[in-house]
Amino acid sequence: MSQRTITRRDFLKVASAVPLAGALVPALKGSPAVAAEKVRVVLVRDENALDASGAPNAEVIQRMLDEGVRALVGQPDAIGAWKTLVHPQDIVGIKTNVWNKLPTPAEVEQAIKRRGMDAGVAEDKLSIDDRGVLRNPIFQNATALINARPARTHQWSGMGSCIKNYIQFVPRPSDYHGDTCADLATIWNLPVVKGRTRLNILVMLTPLFHMIGTQQYNKDFTWAYKGLIVSRDPVAADATGLRVLEAKRREHFQDDGLLKPTPHHIQLADTRHHLGVSDPARIEIVKLGWSEGILI
Amino acid sequence: MSPSTVPEARLLASYIPITAGPWLSEADQVFDATTIFDYIDGAGEVYRSYNMKLLVSRRFHKDGKPDLVVDAFDMGSSEDAFGVFTHDLDGEDAGIGQGSTYKAGLLSFWKDRYFLSVYTEEETPETKGLVLELGLAIARAIPGEGQKPKILEFLPRQELEAGRVRFFHSHSILNYHFFVAEADILLLGQTADAVLADYGESGVRSRLLVIAYAGGGEAARAGKSFARAFMPEAGRKAAVKTENGRWTALRVHGRYVAIVFDEAAEGKARSRLDAVEALIDAAR
Repeated sequence: MSQRTITRRDFLKVASAVPLAGALVPALKGSPAVAAEKVRVVLVRDENALDASGAPNAEVIQRMLDEGVRALVGQPDAIGAWKTLVHPQDIVGIKTNVWNKLPTPAEVEQAIKRRGMDAGVAEDKLSIDDRGVLRNPIFQNATALINARPARTHQWSGMGSCIKNYIQFVPRPSDYHGDTCADLATIWNLPVVKGRTRLNILVMLTPLFHMIGTQQYNKDFTWAYKGLIVSRDPVAADATGLRVLEAKRREHFQDDGLLKPTPHHIQLADTRHHLGVSDPARIEIVKLGWSEGILI
Repeated sequence: MSPSTVPEARLLASYIPITAGPWLSEADQVFDATTIFDYIDGAGEVYRSYNMKLLVSRRFHKDGKPDLVVDAFDMGSSEDAFGVFTHDLDGEDAGIGQGSTYKAGLLSFWKDRYFLSVYTEEETPETKGLVLELGLAIARAIPGEGQKPKILEFLPRQELEAGRVRFFHSHSILNYHFFVAEADILLLGQTADAVLADYGESGVRSRLLVIAYAGGGEAARAGKSFARAFMPEAGRKAAVKTENGRWTALRVHGRYVAIVFDEAAEGKARSRLDAVEALIDAAR
């Protein structure tokens, strides 16, 4: 692929995310790098994550999640690793996604729930929910949230992301649709969720890399990536998942791979709202397991 | 859904067949511009940006076979039906309605003030045939035809790629097709009519954007806003060679703003804007 010239249109993408107003021409010459500690994202893949029919293999999913969490927190055993995330006194909401064409698989939900209970959380203090979170007493009183959803393209926000998965925590999601969902990260500052998220899991088993029509889904635009992305930082998890989706689009469409609309809510979650890190240079990706077709 | 929209929903539903071959329909779902989020979440914003009035969704089912889904939109005007159709122009022309595309199990077309999406969850020769049959039957049932937006008349024909013309109102949709800037530097709001068209061939393609504002004052303000943010070094010349070696040129004419992006030569960009002006004047 030939090197593309950076134009003012690229700058005007960045300009809203980084305060460089009034400096158009000089800014095109480049800006200084920012030195900061890297955040960790674990990408774990397993060739056997899906069975012959394409359904998730529960045993393998559990193992992948365990490996991911162990590598994330630096603990040798899975239950010990989970004990650093949730505690017996916690009330734990597992925020999933029920979009009927590509929901959070039950195998992922149950793997999270199992380890939550292994870490000492009572079963009646755990709940799995999506659209009912505002009415769910566990979520209303949650001290800890685990956020798990599949990665996919989205006709308005660009990407169905971990950040976006919290939109069900607001009574009127359309209030956050402005500028193609630019400020979704502000939801993470609401009292019902602020500071409670212990883990984000971007499910990359069969991501959707392109969408068409009102239904937005066509199986032809999914592929068996067989991965999970695990991070404490939702922005870093999404930024990494976005790189995979764009790489797949480059491979499939033989173009620049960029999503339309631009999923700028991910970058703005970093630069405008300081929820996490979106810059790949500041993300440490730990890659585990199957490497064929990893794309990044 | 408000009681006043019930007759419109019945009318729209009457255009959709009850069966599709051996597939039987389920109960209709009806949504308006507020409740569409219950059906397709945030993706509903695309249709809202084209002022959608009503959506009737009918699903067809046959045991052991992929479902078929008809999403029939009453957009309130033929201009917006055409506009939402141009949001996704990929695919082959299916020759249905007043404009159509088919790709990967999805037929999209517009006719009169209606936009239709007919979709199969899995494309097979059988389901593709049924999708096209359903589309034909719906298009035949809709009695009238609608006008395309008047602003399309201001696109010069020379080198125009007729299959890549998009009509819209919002800067989010502009950015979807051709990213200009995160901020709404053209002050589109949701009330302006805009058309974006491709000229030339792939690889040497340029774009022409023509926007109709409510009045000359709005157009002048939008022109100034664009010039300040996008081409501050252009000054009174209103044309600039950008970083990729191609030309962007701006013209404000009455209540219209026209911009050429990525043209190979300054003279060619200006000629295209002259042609737009001439077409606007001729229509007065």
